[in-house]
Amino acid sequence: MSNNSTSFQNKMDESMKKIHTQTFDNWIQNFAINLENIWNESSAKELESENNQKQKNNSAIIIGRGPSIKKHKHLELLAQSNYKGSVICTDGSLIGALKAGITPEKFPKFYVVTIDPYQIIDKFYDDPVVRKFGSKINGIFSTITHPKVVSLARNAGIKIHWLHTLFDYNEGQKSFNHISAMMVRAKNHVNGLPAIQTGGNAGTSSWFVAWRILKNNPVALIGINHGWEEDEDVSEMIKSHQREVTKDNIEIIKKDNPKYKNYFKKIHNPDFNCEAIVDPLYQFYRMALLEFISRSPSWLTTINATEGGSIFGKRIKPMKFVDFLTNYHR
Amino acid sequence: MKTNFKKTDSTQYKKYTEYNEVKNDSSELTQKEFEEFIIKSGAKGSFMVYRTEKKEEELGLDEL
Repeated sequence: MSNNSTSFQNKMDESMKKIHTQTFDNWIQNFAINLENIWNESSAKELESENNQKQKNNSAIIIGRGPSIKKHKHLELLAQSNYKGSVICTDGSLIGALKAGITPEKFPKFYVVTIDPYQIIDKFYDDPVVRKFGSKINGIFSTITHPKVVSLARNAGIKIHWLHTLFDYNEGQKSFNHISAMMVRAKNHVNGLPAIQTGGNAGTSSWFVAWRILKNNPVALIGINHGWEEDEDVSEMIKSHQREVTKDNIEIIKKDNPKYKNYFKKIHNPDFNCEAIVDPLYQFYRMALLEFISRSPSWLTTINATEGGSIFGKRIKPMKFVDFLTNYHR
Repeated sequence: MKTNFKKTDSTQYKKYTEYNEVKNDSSELTQKEFEEFIIKSGAKGSFMVYRTEKKEEELGLDEL
């Protein structure tokens, strides 16, 4: 590994921290409004499987909304299966999964994960199909999730479970992570809440939730491309970041833009023998997820059943999703 | 704050290499270009990565 790559990842970490802390005041407001509900609702810790399940056959499937999910009809495959493990939807994949027949009635160990603090993601919970099945869904939310997003989920009947998302705990007692944790512990949650690494997105957060909180093993990924298909319009990749393509940002996806090749890297995935187009945000997500998988406990197996995308490397076992469902149906 | 999962030797981790895998003819994105792209295209719907000198803590805490 080159020092340049490590240096680049450090710079991306630094930049993302700088960009996101520009909305820090909003996070505090979100937490303040959520606090009464946090005190009165459940900790994500309550979802933890029996400790003795760890390292046994207690698998999970993380559902993202990358392009391979449609290409390989993974939602249809899962919906038609007799899979008995945990189904963990990233918030962005929830509506699509439910509409495809992946419901908590068929898959009782059904979860959805939200970590973003922005109201823009309320669209992920604003659909009749969420309200139809909400009462049987376990929701896992960051304490800084926008209150209107949590409220939509709560009103749909989703049972709310709270956790902290780590971002400044390294700054000690004056960090917001520490202060907000002490406030949560002041009432009902005397032992606090679990605190997760997000890796920057709901997909990586869901992977952490699966093994750290639900104690699932193995953990399989579908629709976690962290990149885009070569033959797809890159504007779809921009939209996947909750942004519409507008006249203000369209220049970044024009192929005659001199920075185009710098922005959109083509990565060969040797596991699935395919190419993935990876924009800078997915580069950031990707490098973090690969790093954390490589650092995960030795008892954990991470299976990439996405059948595409940019996730491959150390400690990642590639597998066709149909084979995963055959081998790990329980 | 306690952790109760089996520990790995996380001091030995390496950040993941990227550019050896890149096929198209491109140079490394500068930090300025990265920030420009993120602001224009993807600042919403994402979050930061938590970093600390206590590397084990980067994998999360059972209770905070």
